[in-house]
Amino acid sequence: MWRLTRHSLSSLFAICIGLPVDAGTVPVVPHGVILVKGATPGTSDSVTPLPEEGKVAGDRYNNAYFNLSYPIPAGWTEEPAGPPPSDGGSYVLTQFAFWDREPQRVKAHVLVSAQDLFFSANAAQSARELMASLRRGVVPQYEIERGPEEVKIASRTFYRVAYGAPIVGLHWRVLSTDARCHALTFTFTGRDKAALDAAERAMSGISLAKESDAPLCVKGYAHGDNVIEKTEPYLATRRFNTIPVRVTIDGEGRVKHVHLLSAFPDQSEAIISALRAWRLKPYIVDGKPSEIETGLVFGTPRAVARGNAAGSARR
Amino acid sequence: MKSRTTAVLTLGVLLFALQAFSQSDPGIRGGPPGAGGPLASVAANNPITILNFFNDAKTRFEEVDSVNGTIRGEKGKGLGPRFNAMGCARCHAFPATGGTSPAVNPQIVDAGADGAVNLPPSFVTLSGPVREARFIFFTDSAGNPIPSQPNGGVEDLFTIAGRSDAGPCTTSVISQPDFASAVAHNNVIFRIPTPLFGGGLVENIEETDLLSYQASVASNSFGIAGTFNHNGNDGTIARFGWKAQNKSLELFAGEAYNVEQGVSNELFTQEHPTPEEERVLGLPNPCKLNATPEDHTNFNVGSIDTLSDSVQFAMFMRLLAPPERSPDTPGGTDSIKKGEEFFNKIGCEVCHHNVFPSFSSSITPSLDNQKMNLFSDLEIHHMGSKLADNVSQGTAGGDQFRTAPLWGLGKRIFLLHDGRTPDLLKAIDQHSSTGSEANTAVLNFNALANTEKQDLLNFLRSL
Repeated sequence: MWRLTRHSLSSLFAICIGLPVDAGTVPVVPHGVILVKGATPGTSDSVTPLPEEGKVAGDRYNNAYFNLSYPIPAGWTEEPAGPPPSDGGSYVLTQFAFWDREPQRVKAHVLVSAQDLFFSANAAQSARELMASLRRGVVPQYEIERGPEEVKIASRTFYRVAYGAPIVGLHWRVLSTDARCHALTFTFTGRDKAALDAAERAMSGISLAKESDAPLCVKGYAHGDNVIEKTEPYLATRRFNTIPVRVTIDGEGRVKHVHLLSAFPDQSEAIISALRAWRLKPYIVDGKPSEIETGLVFGTPRAVARGNAAGSARR
Repeated sequence: MKSRTTAVLTLGVLLFALQAFSQSDPGIRGGPPGAGGPLASVAANNPITILNFFNDAKTRFEEVDSVNGTIRGEKGKGLGPRFNAMGCARCHAFPATGGTSPAVNPQIVDAGADGAVNLPPSFVTLSGPVREARFIFFTDSAGNPIPSQPNGGVEDLFTIAGRSDAGPCTTSVISQPDFASAVAHNNVIFRIPTPLFGGGLVENIEETDLLSYQASVASNSFGIAGTFNHNGNDGTIARFGWKAQNKSLELFAGEAYNVEQGVSNELFTQEHPTPEEERVLGLPNPCKLNATPEDHTNFNVGSIDTLSDSVQFAMFMRLLAPPERSPDTPGGTDSIKKGEEFFNKIGCEVCHHNVFPSFSSSITPSLDNQKMNLFSDLEIHHMGSKLADNVSQGTAGGDQFRTAPLWGLGKRIFLLHDGRTPDLLKAIDQHSSTGSEANTAVLNFNALANTEKQDLLNFLRSL
C-alpha cells in the first residue's frame, strides 16, 4: 500500500495500531496510487471469478468469468488498466495498443469491454441490439463502413459494425457477442488499416465458452412472486448512488454468490448480509431446478434511456 | 549538377523541418479577456435594476477583507482566523474578475499583509498557481499519516496571527498547519480556484438534460461511463467544484467565503477551523474575534445593501457571462475547425460535452432557454492514478473528478485541479493512467499526426 523506500512495513503496521514508529523512518503516502476510493466492486467470496479480474499471461488475455482467452495481436502491448465497473454495468476489461515507436504514435488499439445487460442505461438486451444501437448512435457523427452484420469467429456469433471518421482518418471496427447476459465487445480503433486487419484476423484464435456452457441468466428474476423470503438491506447512509448487484441463485433458491459492481464498503456489507437471507423459487428448466444468475439494483436506480423491464431467460 | 545538389539539400532541409515539427501548446490566447462582464440581458438591465445588483456584487467580490474591516483598503470584515486569501477576486482573477489563478500569486503578499507572520508553504510560490491545500490522512503527533483516518478537509495556509487587527489571536495560540511535514510524507494535495464565468447557466441546466445525455452515450466506444455526484440532502445532482460537490452557487459562495477567507456567514455559520482542530475543541477562543455570522443580511438599510455578501457573491457568479471563444486565434479558422472535429471524434467530447441548453429562467433572459458551450457533462469520472488526489467529496472517490468545463480554456494559465502544469499537452497526457476513463481517448489523441494534434491544441486555446 505504501512506498517502502524510506520505511518498513513494520513501521506502517506500527502506525496503524498506534505504536511508536522507529526513529528515522518517514512513512510516505505512495505516489500514483488510488487509496481513498468511492464506490468500488464487492463480492461475497474471493474465489468466484468476476468479470473485472482478467489478466494477461504471456501473449494472451484470460478472463475466467467469461471463460475467455484472447490472443494479443503480435507487437501489441498492454495499456494501463481501465476504471472499475460503472454503476451502469459497464466494464473496461483490458486494452492493447500497437505503437509506432519512432515517431511515437499509436497505429491501432483494441478496447475489450463488457456491458452487463441487466443494468445498461441503453435499452439493448443483447449484443445484436447493442450493435444496432451503436450504429444508430454514430450516425451522423461518423460514416458507417459496414454492418451491423453477423460474423462467426471461433464458432461464436459476433455482431460487427465498422465505421470511420474520414476527417480524422480513424476507423472503428466493433465486434460484440453475448456472454452471460453481457455484451462482450472488442473495439478496434486506428488509422492503420493493415494493423486493424491483422488484429481482427487474430480474433480467430480466441477461445470463449459456448453460451450453452455458461450459467443461465435471467433478467429480473429476483422480484415479485419469485421471492419467498427476503430481508431488505439497511443502508445507513443516504448516498443516492446506484448499486447494481449480480447474484447467483442455486437450485434450491438460495443466494450462492453476490457481486456488487459499484458500492461503498458499508453498502456491500449490508447488501451481502441481507441477500444471504433471501429465498427464491428455484428456477425450473426441463422440469429440474437450475442455477441461474440474475440482477438486482439497490440504492437509487439509474436513469434509463427507454423501458428496460424484466426479460426472459438467456444463456 | 549544382542544381541537383541544391534540390537534394532543399529536400533534406524540408524533410528535417517536417520531422522536427512537433505540436506545442500555443499558450494563453492574447487580446482582451473575453470574460468578466455581465450576461447580455444583465448589461441591458433586464429586468430593471438587475445591473445594479451585478455591479454591487462585483464590487463586493473584489473587496479585500481584514479582521474587523477597519484597515484602510481592506473594508471587508471577518478575515480569518484561518484563511487562504484576503478576497474572492484575489484568486478568481485571471483573465478577469471571476476567473482563476493569476500569473502572480497574491497569496505570497496576503501571507504577510498587515504584519501577519505566515511562512508560505513550499508549494505556494510567486509565479505558481493560487492553491488550497488538503491533507489526505490525519496524522499522529509525529506527522505520520494514519491510513485508516482519511482527512481531505481544507487546511488553510495562513492565520491572522501577527496582523495589527488580530488582537489576542497570536502565534502562541494559533499556528499554520505543518505543511513541511505533510510535503515530506506526500500527505498533501492541492486545488486551484475554478473559473466562475457562466455560473448561472450551469446552475440552470435541467437534470433531465444531464440524465438524458448520460443515457445517450451509454454505449460509447471509448470505455467512458461516468456518474453524478449528488447533494446529500435532497439527492439531486450537484455540479459545482472540482468534484461536483456543491449543489448551488449560493452554497458554493457560502462555503468558499468561510473556508478560503475565514468569513462566517448565514450558510456556514461558524469560523472555519482546521480538520484537526475540529476533532478536538475547535479554534482557540482568543481567535474568535467577531460575533457570528460575520457576514449576514443587513437589516434596516437600503435595497441592495440588505443582501449579505455570500448572496451577492452567488449573484455575481450567476450573472457573469460565459467566456468568449475566438473564431481564428490561435492557428487560424481552418485549424480551429479541424481541431474541433478531432476533439469531437476521438472521444474527448463524450465527457467534455459541448452543448447543453438552460431551462427557462425566472431571473433574466440570458439565462432563459439558452444554449451554452460548456464542454462538460458535469458527471464525475474516474481519472486514474496520475490525477487521483485521494480526497473523497460526496460520492466522488479519490480518483473521481467532475469533467472540467473547457469554456475559457484559452485564457487559463494553470491547468488541472491542482494547477500542476501550464502545458495543455501535459494536461492531456495526465488524463491517461491506471484506472482512467480517458485512456482510450488519449490513445486516439496519440494516433494523430503532429499537425493534427496542433489543430486540436489550437481549438482548445480558442475556447
